Amino acid sequence: MSRDEIPPGTLYLLILKTLAVRGRLHGFEIADSIQHNSDEILQVEEGSLYPALQRMLIKGWVTAEWGVTAGNRRARYYALTPDGRQQLSVELSQFERVIGAITRVIQTA
Amino acid sequence: MGKPAEILRRLRMLFHRSQLDADLEEEMRLHRDLRRRQQIDLGLAPAAARRAANIRFGNTTRIQEKSRMTWGWESIESFLQDLNYGLRAMLRSPALTIVALISLALGIGANTAIFSLLDAVLLRSLPVKDPSKLVILGTADWDGISDGFAITELYSYPFYRQMQQKNAVFSDTAAIFSMLNKVHGTVVGRSETEPMAVQLVSGTYFSTLGVRAAIGRMLTDADDNSEGDHPVAVISYSWWKRNLAKDPGVLARKLKLGSTTFSIVGVAPPEFFGTKVGEAPDIWVPLSMMQAVPPGWTGYKENFSESLYILGRLKPGVTITQATTNVNLLYQQILRGFPDSKLNQENLQKLAKAHVPLTAMATGISRLRGQFSEPLQILMAVVALVLLIACANIANLLLARSTARSRELAVRQALGARRSRIVRQLLTESLILAITGGALGIALASAANRLLLRMVSGGLDEVPLDVSVNLRLLLFTLAITVATAVIFGTVPAFRATRLQLTDTLKAGRSPQGTSGKNPLARTLVITQISLSLVLMVGAGLFLRSLVNLDNVDTGFNKQNVLRMFIDASSAGYKEDGPRLPALYQQIEQRASALPGVRAASFSWFTFHEGSWNGFIVVPGMPVNHALDIKHNVVGNGYFDTMQIPLIAGRTFGTQDTATSQRVAVISEHMAKTLFPTGNPIGHSYHIGGDGSPFNEEVIGIVKDVKFGDLQEDPETLDYLPYTQRQVFLNDFEVRYTGNVAAVSTAVQQAIHAVDRNLPITDVTTLDEQVARSITNQRLVAQLSTFFGLLAVFLSSIGIYGLMSYVVSRRTNEIGIRMALGAARSNVRSLILREIAILVAIGITIGIPAALLADRYVTHMLYGLRGTDPLSLAAATIVLLAVALLAGYIPAQRASKVDPMVALRYE
Repeated sequence: MSRDEIPPGTLYLLILKTLAVRGRLHGFEIADSIQHNSDEILQVEEGSLYPALQRMLIKGWVTAEWGVTAGNRRARYYALTPDGRQQLSVELSQFERVIGAITRVIQTA
Repeated sequence: MGKPAEILRRLRMLFHRSQLDADLEEEMRLHRDLRRRQQIDLGLAPAAARRAANIRFGNTTRIQEKSRMTWGWESIESFLQDLNYGLRAMLRSPALTIVALISLALGIGANTAIFSLLDAVLLRSLPVKDPSKLVILGTADWDGISDGFAITELYSYPFYRQMQQKNAVFSDTAAIFSMLNKVHGTVVGRSETEPMAVQLVSGTYFSTLGVRAAIGRMLTDADDNSEGDHPVAVISYSWWKRNLAKDPGVLARKLKLGSTTFSIVGVAPPEFFGTKVGEAPDIWVPLSMMQAVPPGWTGYKENFSESLYILGRLKPGVTITQATTNVNLLYQQILRGFPDSKLNQENLQKLAKAHVPLTAMATGISRLRGQFSEPLQILMAVVALVLLIACANIANLLLARSTARSRELAVRQALGARRSRIVRQLLTESLILAITGGALGIALASAANRLLLRMVSGGLDEVPLDVSVNLRLLLFTLAITVATAVIFGTVPAFRATRLQLTDTLKAGRSPQGTSGKNPLARTLVITQISLSLVLMVGAGLFLRSLVNLDNVDTGFNKQNVLRMFIDASSAGYKEDGPRLPALYQQIEQRASALPGVRAASFSWFTFHEGSWNGFIVVPGMPVNHALDIKHNVVGNGYFDTMQIPLIAGRTFGTQDTATSQRVAVISEHMAKTLFPTGNPIGHSYHIGGDGSPFNEEVIGIVKDVKFGDLQEDPETLDYLPYTQRQVFLNDFEVRYTGNVAAVSTAVQQAIHAVDRNLPITDVTTLDEQVARSITNQRLVAQLSTFFGLLAVFLSSIGIYGLMSYVVSRRTNEIGIRMALGAARSNVRSLILREIAILVAIGITIGIPAALLADRYVTHMLYGLRGTDPLSLAAATIVLLAVALLAGYIPAQRASKVDPMVALRYE
């Protein structure tokens, strides 16, 4: 089973989308969720999730609060803010525009 | 996307950094744990599972750092680190830190203090609208009243009015009475009189300056267009605050000056102190009221009573050259046009030669400027040199320290610290030092300012100058501080990081060879010594000059004379009435009868108080119009009180009355200069030309005295009795024996027994008054001595620092020398010889520099030349002695080196 690096610049989009679909998650769950939902194709260098999350916290797209996992351990749960939801649609339309453009180039070739 | 909210979040992160770090770490640990468990569940061995989890996670440290960078504070963090480290480094060597801080604080403090005074006296613009457009006719060098023809410094009121109407170059024209009337007036409703400084100005004064009232209105041209019927006054903000307790009903208050009641119509804005720097009027009154304000100047309508400064605001686009042409044209026209203008041969010649220069008024008029601009500039140069020495000191100390730290720096570089990071670290340390020193300096400066102001005021009431630390000053100091930090921080920092790492790490204690040679540090010390020598020689010259001035024979005996001002004009006396001489006589008699009083007399002047002067005509002798005779009007007891010896004839007595033959006593120099050979006694002369109805007969000749200042050559002086020349005499002198305070109280009581309303001010001694006349020389002498000693002190610290450093670097060499049989005294003299060489070089450079510098101050010295061998020798000896003393301690330490201990390091 081959695993592919995620395309640059889409990490925010993936995190935002994951949170939008699944609600409150901690870091490990986000990483797992991305991997799982991409049928194990997309592989996040898991550590790089955290600087991205820090940045998103500063931008105000997500909030974080401490909670307890099913295994009874302390974990930081992230959730989307209204700003984050708006950002998701921005990122989505941007992504679709880029993908659309790439697709058109490939099809004409 | 709320930007402010983002900044807020960033700030919160800055303050909860450690919490965030911990959170992040916990979060990441959880992640790796969960992944590890997952791998174990998939069947991996625990060790393999951990490895897999770590690989999938990535480089933890790097990620942590990357996360931190997203907070955006890494530069501040490393700065805080530098700061923290710098502070610790400073505390690790407290002696060095204290010396460096003291050097900086004194250097910067002295610079700030002197500069603030310089700024207040010389540089600061008047607080008025567009001061650069203001000019004054003439140079504002004179003050007083003149009746001369075609003078260009002072002007009459009618002249001002014509100039105002006819000129084409000024948008506004104003006049200022050249003297401040220091009167005693009453705030209506109070019983006591109080001193008030009244400035007479034209009604256009405030509008020309563009100064608007804080309360009420300022004067207008209408207040000034007819004599005697505009009793209005504008008061200064500080007087309103000080004397009327900021009474909001100030416009209903009245002031009584002389016998006239003035209504207060306005309060000037707080920043406006007038147009003369160092002289702040309390009250402004229109010139139309000049006769109502004691002492009752006349001249509002006199074409040739010149007592005003005229100032104008240039119209837009008019150059100063155009204005000068126009003003001079009008000057000729107006003077020729006066009906009472005596256009004889002599006056026409004067008029042809007269030229009115226009002087920029942006910084105001100031007598202080003439007196202090040069001393202040010299002091500024002196303190700048002191700062230079202080900086050299700090550079040297830091240089020594950073060299001593070179091993540490090498280790840090070897561990991967970038050179720029280390340079920044060292620079931060220097900056901490400089900024702390600067802050201390500013604190010191504000204390020093007050002291300086008191010194400048010379024992009188404090000169009203605003010397508080202002923005410009702060910038100036900041510039000095930062420049200092950059200069002395950069050099050691670059030197410290230039070294070859391997050499340093290999060579143990002596990274740069064993010689301990350090050309930069040596150059700095030599510079310090040369500069100190220059300062010491200067200080010596000023001190000796001051001593010479103190020992000048004044001609009168300045010891044991009490001197006070009595303001009869404010107590309702008239200059021409019979009450005035009677008052003077009565006071003289009462005072003379007191125990402990040997003689007492009124006089117009004593010493250093200005003059009434003009030419005289002696029948049978050619008239020299250029030779000013200075006249004094005195009581019969004046010569006894002042102990001015009589050379021939007699002094005044009771036989000299208002109706008897008018008599005069003349000075020895006047007798020699103006009278034919033979005895002048019995000869007569006219004061003020042929037109004078008065014929003074010489009855006595007295010894020459100093009159204006201590440096002057013998003056042509004459004395007239007040029974025959009625003027307000403000000076009252008492020769006493015993306790000055007791006599002073008794005399003042006696005066008030005659008239209890007479204001008595400025009670002092003649000795003190003479001392005041050399205030600026004393200021320069005291301060240059202080700074000279400071310079020597700083240099000796520099020498001590350098030699301690040299000794510590040469411990090995000294150890070897001693192991080979050198005696301790040899080692000591080895070190002392080095110091002697440094000092000798410094002095060799310093002497020609001192001689050169002294050429600029020669004209300020009294009874000395710039090449004063005594000052030079004294400075050299002091420097040599202090330098050897400073070097003795490290030399002694060198001689105590134990060869075994020293060599064991190898």
